[in-house]
Amino acid sequence: MTKKYETEAPGYTMTTVMEEAARCLLCHDAPCSKACPADTDPARFIRSVRFNNVKGAAETIRENNALGAICARVCPTEKYCELACSRTGIDCPIDIGGIQRYVTDFEQAAKMDILKQGKSNGKHIAIVGSGPSGLQVATTMLTKGYAVDIYEKNEKAGGYLTYGIPEYRLPNDIVEYEIKRIINLGANIHYNTTVGDDIMMDDLKANNDAVVVAVGASESKVLPMFANNENVETAVGFLARVKEAKGNITDLPENAVVIGGGDVAMDVATTLRRLDVKNVTDMAYEEFDEFKASKKELKGTREAGVTIVDGYVPTAVNGNEVTFKHRHIDSEMTIKSNKIILAVGQRVNAANLNITIDKHEEVPYAGYGTADPKVFVTGDIAQGDKTVVWAVRKGKEVAEQIDKMIMDKDKEADLVGGNE
Amino acid sequence: MIKKDLSVDFLGVHFENPFLLSSSPVGNCYEMCAKAFDEGWAGVAFKTIGPKHFKVDEVSPRFDELTKEGTPFVGFKNMEQIAEHPLEQNLHDLKKLKENYPTKIIIASIMGTNEQDWEELAQLVTEAKADMIEMNLSCPQMTSHDMGSDVGTNPELVKKYCAAVRRGSDLPILAKMTPNITDMVPAAKASMDGGADGIATINTVKSIANLDIDRKTALPTVDGKGSVSGFSGKAVKPIALRFIQQLREAAGMEQLPISGIGGIETWQDAAEFLLLGATTLQVTTSVMQYGYRIVEDMKNGLMHYMEEQGIDHLSEIIGAANKSIVPVDSLNRDYKVYPKIDWDKCIGCGRCYISCFDGAHQAIQWNEEARRPTVDIDKCVGCHLCNLVCPVGAISTGEVVMKPGREGNPEDIKIESPRLTHF
Repeated sequence: MTKKYETEAPGYTMTTVMEEAARCLLCHDAPCSKACPADTDPARFIRSVRFNNVKGAAETIRENNALGAICARVCPTEKYCELACSRTGIDCPIDIGGIQRYVTDFEQAAKMDILKQGKSNGKHIAIVGSGPSGLQVATTMLTKGYAVDIYEKNEKAGGYLTYGIPEYRLPNDIVEYEIKRIINLGANIHYNTTVGDDIMMDDLKANNDAVVVAVGASESKVLPMFANNENVETAVGFLARVKEAKGNITDLPENAVVIGGGDVAMDVATTLRRLDVKNVTDMAYEEFDEFKASKKELKGTREAGVTIVDGYVPTAVNGNEVTFKHRHIDSEMTIKSNKIILAVGQRVNAANLNITIDKHEEVPYAGYGTADPKVFVTGDIAQGDKTVVWAVRKGKEVAEQIDKMIMDKDKEADLVGGNE
Repeated sequence: MIKKDLSVDFLGVHFENPFLLSSSPVGNCYEMCAKAFDEGWAGVAFKTIGPKHFKVDEVSPRFDELTKEGTPFVGFKNMEQIAEHPLEQNLHDLKKLKENYPTKIIIASIMGTNEQDWEELAQLVTEAKADMIEMNLSCPQMTSHDMGSDVGTNPELVKKYCAAVRRGSDLPILAKMTPNITDMVPAAKASMDGGADGIATINTVKSIANLDIDRKTALPTVDGKGSVSGFSGKAVKPIALRFIQQLREAAGMEQLPISGIGGIETWQDAAEFLLLGATTLQVTTSVMQYGYRIVEDMKNGLMHYMEEQGIDHLSEIIGAANKSIVPVDSLNRDYKVYPKIDWDKCIGCGRCYISCFDGAHQAIQWNEEARRPTVDIDKCVGCHLCNLVCPVGAISTGEVVMKPGREGNPEDIKIESPRLTHF
């Protein structure tokens, strides 16, 4: 029964990846390589595939991105590298995500260990949260020679990668492998440890040269009208429940309404269909020409047989009956369903971390610093996009900033020392 | 990123890696060579420098390509001769390259029309501080019969001209051989007898790649006419490898120093030339198609290959395949190996069935209902055409059996390593 939920679409073979790579025009000053928020260089790794150097391609991807195999699967490439692809002038862009998946799967099959721990510099950093951005910070710092402790409130690392993105889109084996790679690099992960509860921020600050808060927007928002309604479940809660049980959940409804128009809503609706829930309706605030979910996600959701109705907002709820009104036209509909799942955005829980989070669920200023010079933010709570590829970008940037700060401080101390 | 020492020593000269631009349009002036060096090439055989009295006068257009289905540049035909720039300019460029890139290796390719030319050119490029001389005895499209492959197919002339160059210079000398010859060994021996230190091969293969079927002449068409001229690129790699193997298996030439040329574009191509005994590798056609940047993946891929092979220096594999390539009458003919079909991979296209019936031994039976092939072992001769045409790699080498009445243990037979080595 869970096969449709657990099975990822097949990837390229050695023959088919070469056919796809052969479509690449090998552009001069390749536009794809300028379009990645995380600085991935597709032109370089596709060229390596083209010239039979898959190991070299893996190096190009991995040295830049701690989560290369994950980004290959979940990145909305249509907005970045594939949007920029020159091949579009002929027919359709190169499947850059697909080629990256082949290369990173090869990397795993060949047991390549590309990243190496840097020579210890005697410095320590603590990271609060083991989601994508925290993992990238850890990786960059480990390669620079820092000791890294990660504090994770859950039983497993990975945050939304582990507890959110459905198995058919991001197999848990892949996430575990990426995390294992980072642990092998030297990351020390403290599971079931909530900072601000089990261990205090002040302790982390006292014992480390810097602390990075990477907690993420890990809780679903609930519209007031749905509070305390027993027919309602949050998207975050539902996706985590299904993923942990590998799709084996027993209380599936016969039909369901999903409210939301982003990737999370698409994941919930598609998961329900893949678990054989017969009627799944997704009600989206946005109309299709302003849709938030990626085209790939939207397409997958439609192919899974979800009815998507765009432009409607919920106006009233009575038990399991929800009334929606169109935002622009005079249209109203009421749907009765066994289950209502809310995918209307997420919120940050930064309790006891001394971080100010504004109504946009992020810090109220650009950049990664905080009022405390030792404390930094990254991931969802830093301003900017909330996708995995942006988490990686932010993780790399904050890591460089912290490294520079610590190294500059050392240099200053040396100078002062020299004067004495 | 993997780091391995790719350096090689060749004719007493140290190369940071084996990859060189071959004497051709890709190494035709200072700026080109400088860019190539910056991108990682170890050296250049600068485009052939001729005597002052020989005037180069080229046609337009001057290239053609062989394609197959969607693949461009399967092979490449060109009609260019030697360097168009004035002699002084070329010598100046050689000197400036050596001054600005002292660790890169500058090979001066030269070509004369008589002994005096050869000797003078050798002196001039030596004075210009080249590291090595390559004698172009092999260009197949020279407008003078005293130059190019007309010379290279004549061992007497080859020996005489090598001796002339030897008189003109004390630098290491490579003689660049033409493949437009049945047996390269006499010309190669003659060059060594004349004073050359090693062989560069192959130059291009005389060809007509395509016709303009409306104008009824060869491409490229020059004012309604075409010509036979040199062919290069991936399609000539098998010819190059064959000549290199045959040179290295000739009596007394087992350690012949060779600079390999012919269709190199990946690290695997490079490994093949090294395994057959080439120490340095020269590249043009794939640079013309893709640019100098291809050297990055050749170098990196070769390092990964070294890692897989557990070697620290390329010298450990140079010529490593020579001894296991033997005359056809020495091969083991006592067994056959059947194809093995992986039913999970088979998609039921029937290409193996068509090729086996029409091109081999009618040994694949086709189940029309199930759209699946099976091997009839009574008819199968183990030729493995089916393996080669399968689009999904579902056919591999399977059971080995001894032919009736032959001695031997099938388990001792070394069959091919899998064609699809990855996954």
